[in-house]
Amino acid sequence: MVRVIVNKVTSSIATIFGASVVAFVLLRVLPGDPARLIAGSLASDEAIAGVRRQLGLDQPLHVQYIRYITDFFTGDWGFSFSSGVPVKEILGSRFPATAELALYAFLFAFLSALVLALLATYREWPVVDGVVRALSSFGLGTPPFWFAILALIVFFEQFGLLPGPSGRLSSATTPPPLLTGFYTIDALVAGQFDILGEAIKHLILPVVSLGLVPFAFLVRLLRANLLEISSEPFIVVVRSKGIGRWLTHVRHALPNAFLPTLTASGLILAELLTGSVLVERIFTWPGVGALVVDSIKRQDFAVVQTFILLSASLYILVNLVVDILYGVIDPRTRIPTTEAR
Amino acid sequence: MSATVSQSIEPQTGATAARNSSFREAVGIFFEDRALLLALAVIILLLGLAVLGPVFWAKDPTSVDAGSALEPPSAEHLMGTDGAGRDVFARFYAGARISLTVGAIVVTLGAIIGGLIGMIAGTSGGWLDNLLMRLMDAILAFPPLILAMAVTIGLGVGIRTAAIGIIITSVPWYARLIRSEVIRVRSLPFIEAAVAIGASRARIIGRHVIPHVISTLLVQAAASFGYAILTLAALGFVGLGAQIPTPEWGAMITEGLAHAITGRWWVGVFPGLGVLMAVTAANIVADRARALLDPRGALADL
Amino acid sequence: MAAEREQMTEQTAQPEPNDDLLLRVRGLKTEFVTRRGTIKAVRDVSLDVHRAEKVGIVGESGCGKSALALSILGLISSPGRVVAGEVWLNGRELASLSDREMQVVRGRNVSLIFQDPMTSLDPVMTIGSQITESILKHQRGISRRAARDRAIELLRDVEVPLAERRIDDFPHQLSGGMRQRVMIAIALANDPDLLIADEPTTALDVTTQAQVIDVLERLVEERNAAVILITHNLGVVAEFCDTVKVMYAGRIVEEATTDVLFRAPTHPYTEALLHSVPDPKRLARGPLPTIPGAPPSLADLPPGCSFEPRCPLGQGVEVCLEQAPFPIEVGSPGSIVVSECHFAQDRWAEAHNPTEGVQSHE
Repeated sequence: MVRVIVNKVTSSIATIFGASVVAFVLLRVLPGDPARLIAGSLASDEAIAGVRRQLGLDQPLHVQYIRYITDFFTGDWGFSFSSGVPVKEILGSRFPATAELALYAFLFAFLSALVLALLATYREWPVVDGVVRALSSFGLGTPPFWFAILALIVFFEQFGLLPGPSGRLSSATTPPPLLTGFYTIDALVAGQFDILGEAIKHLILPVVSLGLVPFAFLVRLLRANLLEISSEPFIVVVRSKGIGRWLTHVRHALPNAFLPTLTASGLILAELLTGSVLVERIFTWPGVGALVVDSIKRQDFAVVQTFILLSASLYILVNLVVDILYGVIDPRTRIPTTEAR
Repeated sequence: MSATVSQSIEPQTGATAARNSSFREAVGIFFEDRALLLALAVIILLLGLAVLGPVFWAKDPTSVDAGSALEPPSAEHLMGTDGAGRDVFARFYAGARISLTVGAIVVTLGAIIGGLIGMIAGTSGGWLDNLLMRLMDAILAFPPLILAMAVTIGLGVGIRTAAIGIIITSVPWYARLIRSEVIRVRSLPFIEAAVAIGASRARIIGRHVIPHVISTLLVQAAASFGYAILTLAALGFVGLGAQIPTPEWGAMITEGLAHAITGRWWVGVFPGLGVLMAVTAANIVADRARALLDPRGALADL
Repeated sequence: MAAEREQMTEQTAQPEPNDDLLLRVRGLKTEFVTRRGTIKAVRDVSLDVHRAEKVGIVGESGCGKSALALSILGLISSPGRVVAGEVWLNGRELASLSDREMQVVRGRNVSLIFQDPMTSLDPVMTIGSQITESILKHQRGISRRAARDRAIELLRDVEVPLAERRIDDFPHQLSGGMRQRVMIAIALANDPDLLIADEPTTALDVTTQAQVIDVLERLVEERNAAVILITHNLGVVAEFCDTVKVMYAGRIVEEATTDVLFRAPTHPYTEALLHSVPDPKRLARGPLPTIPGAPPSLADLPPGCSFEPRCPLGQGVEVCLEQAPFPIEVGSPGSIVVSECHFAQDRWAEAHNPTEGVQSHE
């Protein structure tokens, strides 16, 4: 087991380096001159050269690359070209918004998928199963940004049930005192229940829009796995002990069926955490995704390359955690098969 | 669904009878599957619209007519008009053409490139295999949308560069899949047998490995098709793919967003429906194809 | 013809109160509806099992033996269905019980041991918890501690060494033979009256087979449990069972006590089965005897005798082609055979008043 982990860690590090090279090359290939952008269109050549020296853009490529890597790992992430604010600060201020959205979206997708997959496979209920399968098919085919628009039209514009795309809270409200950056938690802790309610209402549409595709994916996966496990011999054995159908399903079928879902869940969480550009845009959510798109458009290297390395690291970290969890849940990975006569 | 049953009860029919009836059976299953039929019907419909649209519908997708801007769906404008007075229905089928074409191209190129990489990696092994797979992993570690965006910005915005970006993000999937298939097939007994008879490596690859691999590729391609269309729309939505006034579904949805708040739902909803239909249909076809060709094989835990 | 046969079984439907009778099955019919047709896995099967009796059910793969076992316990699931028949256990009718009511019976009055120990245990649960699961379900009020102790005791009973340590092992840490013993432990956890063992040794190697059968035999004796042993291994049947029922194409075609059946089978299928057991004395003299042909498709059964196409006696014979045989009782009191063959009577007569020497099938 330890050896497996070590292997994983080494190849993860190798992958991070690979990703960094790709990012580095990509960004250097972009046309346009960030030095000029920073110095301003009216700056003299001298000034521009000065900025370039300052950013280290005059050094040979491999030197730049080394600086890039070392800076990243030492936490020196530089300054945003377009705003001058330290990258760490920008990303840090926007991350909680994305994180809150992502986590709730994940919980929504995961829990709904769990419940519906169990219901669809527990007994032969063709109607329930059909509905779940249809939900899954359509969910996978629905562009989340379009669904968000649709939801806005129905719930906001037509029926006025939910707030419009004004971000995490309505413009008039001040956020709760900063603790975690999650408005829901912070408001709860501070006892500001009206703000809590508002934050929740603002979260509903983005969470559902964002969570729809992951839900569809997970429910399909879990359903297929549950069906497969349900036809395994040991399930009949459990029933022959006199255990009821639901209990058999939840206590025996589910843990066995869950493992592949675990891997997928990890990937989904990582993807959600690295920001959903589209949904954030539609709801004017002050998250990381929107920031990154703007940065790409503005050729703000510093932000983009840091972000790319961060998200690559996040993916790899999540993969690692999933692998470890796998070992915890499935005794077959943890304990080698021994023969005992 | 008792496994004990399927183990112990097996209808025994004569060999030839089984062969004939299993073909009939397959056709029967094909037609019984209503979801599949529906999906195929949708695809054919969209294809039909894309190809024949201009033949039957007089309106032009790009002709501006400020006078009749933002009109709701009517007999004259089946899907209404957008902010610049353009007929949404004409733009809809023009968008269908774009999406379906780009999807097909992206999928084909991605499959060929990814497939080749996967085959090379799978049959070479050693450092080449390692190198190629690390490269694939590096690409996979990126949020795909971000990567595609970076590519479009680097190479200039537009549908063409968007397609390139999408191809790059989908190549690793094909490469990984094909590589694992190749490795799996390589160690199958019948390959050993072929080697034992003295078949050359090229022959083995050509006669045995490739046919196995093609069916896997096809299934993955069908699934990727939906993804390609979605991503294209996403890029168009962000303004990095198709540019306004190109009638691409994603860009149309962007326009639609602004008007949605004021109640003009048709501008954004129809193109979105187009994406929804195309992607869902493609996914269903991919699903069925996978179930048919490879129920628990390499594709099972993609 | 078929209607008359059904009428016959219905006449004996309601059992008389009989202390010795544990299980009575009458007219059990189980079908599976598939695309290829309706598979009639169990076709009008009736049998009796007495207390502490050891009944063997013998037949080829696909003859419906496993379906029979599952049908008795109500564990047939879609696309299968028990379409007819009654099952009395201790005088209580089972087929009409709801699943919840059956849950009380399963694992407590009747237990099942399955065929393949490699896939019969939950891979992510310790073997101990799989045993205690059964104990805790049926023994109300027992503490977890006590259940665990009982599980260790059971593991010792089935001769699993170092039981107190192995109880926390996972199935993949045990060999096939060990796992099958765990299955036996699970089945006997609540002292059932009846144990149905579906091919308990088929997936094991010969040495392990013998060990497992020994364990089974000992425990069954100790607890005075009745056993239905389903197998295609005639050697095990000869050693272990009191009575034998031979199953073919979903029906019981012959039944008798073990020694009578082995000595003088009346049904041609039984005879062919016995004949196909490799005999070292005959090995030198040519190819292994087999039964030519294959069992019929249970979805597409011929109108006459289902064994006719392969029957050395009845192939092509008109009565065998057209009429499905009745179960007939032949023999004298003390050695009664119930057989479903048009020629049963004649064969019995010939075996016992031989015209050309005695046929012995040991």
